[in-house]
Amino acid sequence: MISFLHPWVLVGLTAAAIPILLHLLARREPPTVVFPAVRYLVTTTREHQRRLKLQNWILLCLRTLLVVLLVLAAAAPSIPETGVAGHAPSALVLIVDNSPSSGAVGQGNPTFRQLITAARQVLGRATPQDALWLISADGIPRRGDRTALDDLLRGLTVSPRRLELGSAIALADEVLGPEPRPGEIVLLTDLQSSALSPAQPSAPLIVGRPDGPSPANAGIGEINAGSQPWSSDGGRVTITLVGDSGPGLPVSARLDNRPASQALGHPGGSTSLDLAGAPSGWWELTAELDPDELRADDRRVMAIRVAPVARVNWDSTSRYVAAAAEVLASNRRIVRGQEVVLGRLGSGASVVQPPEDPARIGALNRVLASRAVGWSYGELSTEPQFSDSGTVVGRQRVLRRYTLQPTGSGRTGVLATVSGTPWIVRGGDVVLLGSRLEPAWTELPVSAGFMPFMDVLLNRLARGEHSFTEAAAGDPVRLPDLVSEVRRGDRSWRVEGGGVFRPAETGVHFLLAGRDTIGALSVNPDPRESQLTRASDAQAGRLWRGARVVSLRQVGGAAFSSASRGDLRAPLLWTALLVGLIEAGFASGWRRRA
Amino acid sequence: MLHTDDTPNSARLDLLDPLEVSKLGGLEIITQGVVEGFLSGLHRSPRRGFSVEFAEHRMYQPGDELRYVDWKILGRNDRLYVKQFEEETNLRAVIVCDTSRSMAWSGAPGAVLPKLAYAQRLIAALSLVLIRQRDATGLITFDDEVRTITPPRARLSHWRQLLQVLAASEAGHGTAAEPALRRVIGQLRRRGLVVFVSDLLLDRTLALKALRFLRHRGHQVLVLHIMDPAEVSLVGTNEARFEDPESRAAVVIRPRDWAGPYRDTVRGVVSEWRLACRRHGIGYHQVTTDTPFGVVLREALAPPSSPA
Repeated sequence: MISFLHPWVLVGLTAAAIPILLHLLARREPPTVVFPAVRYLVTTTREHQRRLKLQNWILLCLRTLLVVLLVLAAAAPSIPETGVAGHAPSALVLIVDNSPSSGAVGQGNPTFRQLITAARQVLGRATPQDALWLISADGIPRRGDRTALDDLLRGLTVSPRRLELGSAIALADEVLGPEPRPGEIVLLTDLQSSALSPAQPSAPLIVGRPDGPSPANAGIGEINAGSQPWSSDGGRVTITLVGDSGPGLPVSARLDNRPASQALGHPGGSTSLDLAGAPSGWWELTAELDPDELRADDRRVMAIRVAPVARVNWDSTSRYVAAAAEVLASNRRIVRGQEVVLGRLGSGASVVQPPEDPARIGALNRVLASRAVGWSYGELSTEPQFSDSGTVVGRQRVLRRYTLQPTGSGRTGVLATVSGTPWIVRGGDVVLLGSRLEPAWTELPVSAGFMPFMDVLLNRLARGEHSFTEAAAGDPVRLPDLVSEVRRGDRSWRVEGGGVFRPAETGVHFLLAGRDTIGALSVNPDPRESQLTRASDAQAGRLWRGARVVSLRQVGGAAFSSASRGDLRAPLLWTALLVGLIEAGFASGWRRRA
Repeated sequence: MLHTDDTPNSARLDLLDPLEVSKLGGLEIITQGVVEGFLSGLHRSPRRGFSVEFAEHRMYQPGDELRYVDWKILGRNDRLYVKQFEEETNLRAVIVCDTSRSMAWSGAPGAVLPKLAYAQRLIAALSLVLIRQRDATGLITFDDEVRTITPPRARLSHWRQLLQVLAASEAGHGTAAEPALRRVIGQLRRRGLVVFVSDLLLDRTLALKALRFLRHRGHQVLVLHIMDPAEVSLVGTNEARFEDPESRAAVVIRPRDWAGPYRDTVRGVVSEWRLACRRHGIGYHQVTTDTPFGVVLREALAPPSSPA
């Protein structure tokens, strides 16, 4: 297969049309000459027209061929030379796609094992003069000689990390950039269509992919545990299955080693399971499918926090607040107690409404300042406006509100805004509401979202929120400000709050601030890994121009072909010279004869 | 000054470049010069003989028969003169001249005579030669129709009349030779000589048919094919639109691409004319307008070759 070192030069092939275009554009009315013997000219042209046309066609073809040959030579084409035992010193980057999908087993043969075997065949052709790199799903180019890379291959396993093939190719191309030796990229992959992304490598690219169709697969794509924390009464999880459609599959879910709940799910659909209550604390929720061709996506985990419902002291004189609290209490989402004071500022966690009497604002602000809440009430605004949609509360009409002003250096803890200005804020264990929860102030109390808002307000916001984050292995995750340590099982990592953490393994990672667990990071395989459908060779060829796609069994023989490729520039230039001479000979010969 | 005796070839007007000759004077003077030069180049006068009717005396020349020496003059003046006798005119000639628009063309104006100018001078010289031989000579001019008819006469004054007709003839429009050639029949009651002077850019079939007809009537027919050198060899390099002044037919070509094939075509045309004429016992001479008049006269007045 012909490949080009400078394929963009091939745009110059359009120059082949220039002689014709010039001829057409430069065509003009010739001068008239009086000549009595026109009849002889007519006879002459009639008799020789065919021959002249043929001559002109030959000249045109020769000239066009000349342009084409020169452009092709400038594009530096090369072809593989067969029968070449060795190869010139080369630079080769071997990309092994050991992403979770490589763990699939097709026709009894694990894809990962095929990839490793092919990688060894490629390395088997390397010589000590070659520069070699290995890139796996972790995305780190590792340089080494043949033996070193063979050792790396021996230690390689199926990674929980996803590998974007386009990015890996671009990285390999960057690695080869400074290399003076002829470079080549060998990509060994299951060619999962969801992993394909565009790349324009300047080095020749050989893609090795398994033979035969990709195996059918189903996996768990997502777990939705609803609002957290769960109460000790338990909760409901919704599990979404992904993969190839097929019959119903049994799905189970459990909290740690507690009894599992089971249901039947279908790929592409969701199923809900109710889990029994558990004592307060952090739990690892595990959802599982029966084993199939790809084991990595048959299990998915999530962190669940179980906490008792908030013990709330609410003011029965506030009609709407009292009604909402009664409903929540009747649904066992809160109980009466002193943990959270609702409606006024208490000694502990409090949800504070502004007082009806504006004269009491000053006193309230002074108490807030003494509690170091960091926020205070400002001016009263009676201009009707709408709250901005957010996670805490949706778009609500606000008729009256106090502006909330930060008293500290920063402006943190804003939970909801109206026209971009704070409306609900939290400072420490105090939540300040800009409007009273009454229809004269806001339409929130008479809207459908009022009860969920009150639930979140009392069970989460007032008691201090916890961070629940989900990520795929290898993805960068920005940690909450207070986190100082990440712990998973027996392993722990010292981290800096606000920094980026890249989980290498799947599983639940707990985020600790000192000795307190303030959140959890659930790490699972990327759901796209469950789609094992393989891209066609043509698709790969379209995304990666010039890529040569071969079977994994043939990739060993195809490797290092760039170094054993014949440079076609010299033959093309010699042919161009020959064509030029023939053209000159024809043109001058015919002119002389004329 | 015109020379009437033997002169070197370089001074003979019949052998000079036609354009140079034409610059020397009017049609009459240069024609006489050409004819004198032509006749002096001949070993003997072609037709003047010694018949019964005395014509004139001239100086004895070695080789003259002694019986024609005028002994009386020798006795009186001690000079050798021979008596010349006028042959009876036994030949009537008609010259048919093409004056179509194409004849007025010159491939290099100022360097080569136009075909018509060349033909006028050639015909003037030819008719003078014939009239000097006491051959009655007439002239028919034509373009797309017959323009003038001058009946054959043998007097020298008739030659001047021919000159006037020639000088007055101008380039016309198209070319229709057949009517003019058929009009010859009316001028030649007996067998005679027909000289057809044309660039032959005409209907070849019709012209040949008329010429054959004349030949069939027993006339000696001579075709002088007048061509400009630029018609024989195509000159120029850049593309041009070549237009026929008569038919306005045009063709766009680049001369450098077509010079060779065109030359072959012209050769073929000349060859076809020559073969066709020879087949019917018609004399044919291709004449380019840069050929000295003497050369043409010598070829034209040479004894006719045997018909094929």
